[in-house]
Amino acid sequence: MPLIRKDTAAGTPATSDRADPLAMLADAAPDVRWTGVRLLSGRADAVAALAAALSVETDARVREAIFTALAAAATRESCLALVPWLRSDDASLRTGALDALCATPPAAAASLAPMLLADHDPDVRLLSCEIVRGLPADEAQSLLCGLLDAETEANVCAAAVEVLAELGGREAAATLARCAERFAQDPYLAFAIKVARQRLDVASGDIGE
Amino acid sequence: MVFNESKRYYVQRRIDERMIATGSTSFASYFARLRSDAQGEVEQFVNAFTVNETYFYREEHQLQCMSADLLGERLASKGRGEALRIWSAPCSTGEEPYSLAIWLLENWPQVDAHDIEIVGSDIDTSALDAARSGVFGRRALMRLPPPLVDKYFEPLPDDRWRIVADLRNSVSFSPVNLVDGRETRTFGMFDVIFCRNVLIYFDEASRRIAAENLYENLAPGGFICLGHTESMSRISPLFEARRFDDAIVYQRPRESAGG
Repeated sequence: MPLIRKDTAAGTPATSDRADPLAMLADAAPDVRWTGVRLLSGRADAVAALAAALSVETDARVREAIFTALAAAATRESCLALVPWLRSDDASLRTGALDALCATPPAAAASLAPMLLADHDPDVRLLSCEIVRGLPADEAQSLLCGLLDAETEANVCAAAVEVLAELGGREAAATLARCAERFAQDPYLAFAIKVARQRLDVASGDIGE
Repeated sequence: MVFNESKRYYVQRRIDERMIATGSTSFASYFARLRSDAQGEVEQFVNAFTVNETYFYREEHQLQCMSADLLGERLASKGRGEALRIWSAPCSTGEEPYSLAIWLLENWPQVDAHDIEIVGSDIDTSALDAARSGVFGRRALMRLPPPLVDKYFEPLPDDRWRIVADLRNSVSFSPVNLVDGRETRTFGMFDVIFCRNVLIYFDEASRRIAAENLYENLAPGGFICLGHTESMSRISPLFEARRFDDAIVYQRPRESAGG
């Protein structure tokens, strides 16, 4: 039979754990840097080193691993290390940072949500609606309703409305109505709010109650 | 169907599955959908509790893809005498890795020309014990043609069958936590990994870590097969999607030389 079985250490080890992972972050070879980042994944004491590495890293795979490692660290500091990249002109860095913040456990990301939703940059506020999507529904609804009542940019409102449509309850209806009034001249936002209110009616269980 | 406290995890998993499938971000929103039977959700919900166990030759099209396309492409990268390595992770109670073995013996013309190592791994050690015992009930064999059951299984009392000793002794089983790189690293590199219907149960951070671990365990140019509802593209940009006649699988790019 051609099937073989090995009960001891299998195959060629994928990597060595003996090198210093912090030193590996500065290696000339992307593969070595990638391994170093992965060895540091989830370590709160490595957040500063990972953040520094991200600022100079050019290899897409290594960058992705740094984002994953920072998300896994799941501290306020690791989240703060990701925030500046939300402003990057490089779309891949913006997306990487956003995905990492969305992947960060809510307990760590939640503390930054109010700050991000009040950022001076409307693009950051818009992207932050995605981060809020991952929070507990009540908390997310409260944050997004607060945003909607103060927001001046229609696109940011649209992003918030989209998330509210998914996780909101009837408590958001009044906020949505006020937003629709303030942006009455924006047909897309009016439509989005109308759809959101219809979905909230269903989610609230009005059908069948 | 009645479920008591001992089935809490079973119930929770299936609710989580339906929430993911419906895009519900809270139990409240999903429960409202269920109560209103939106888009036939009650039927889907019931089905999730009755059709969610592993069996032989599950998602057979991926096995076909393996023998028709993946292994041939991998052989081009192998050195003389170098074994093909296939990982089933998670392997649950063994249906998948034994299916891989039977499928290759029955369907891959080159099976006798190469050494093939099949490894089955799971975080559930009781499932691994069951896998090593190689005993299965009728439901697990339901997709196997009777001639294959006769060829590879010995009948036991109480409507059970045991896989023949040659096959039991040809597949190794070992525990692994796919989210722990220190564990996954010890398995070395594989040519093909079957990681079906498990990543959907992870949170997003764990999913990313597991994807990177699996990448590290794939030889450059190696392939990973996910469950039919899963997409690696949504989890990690490390892999390239490859479309073959029988399946879409994901490949580690060939240019990476290390892990």
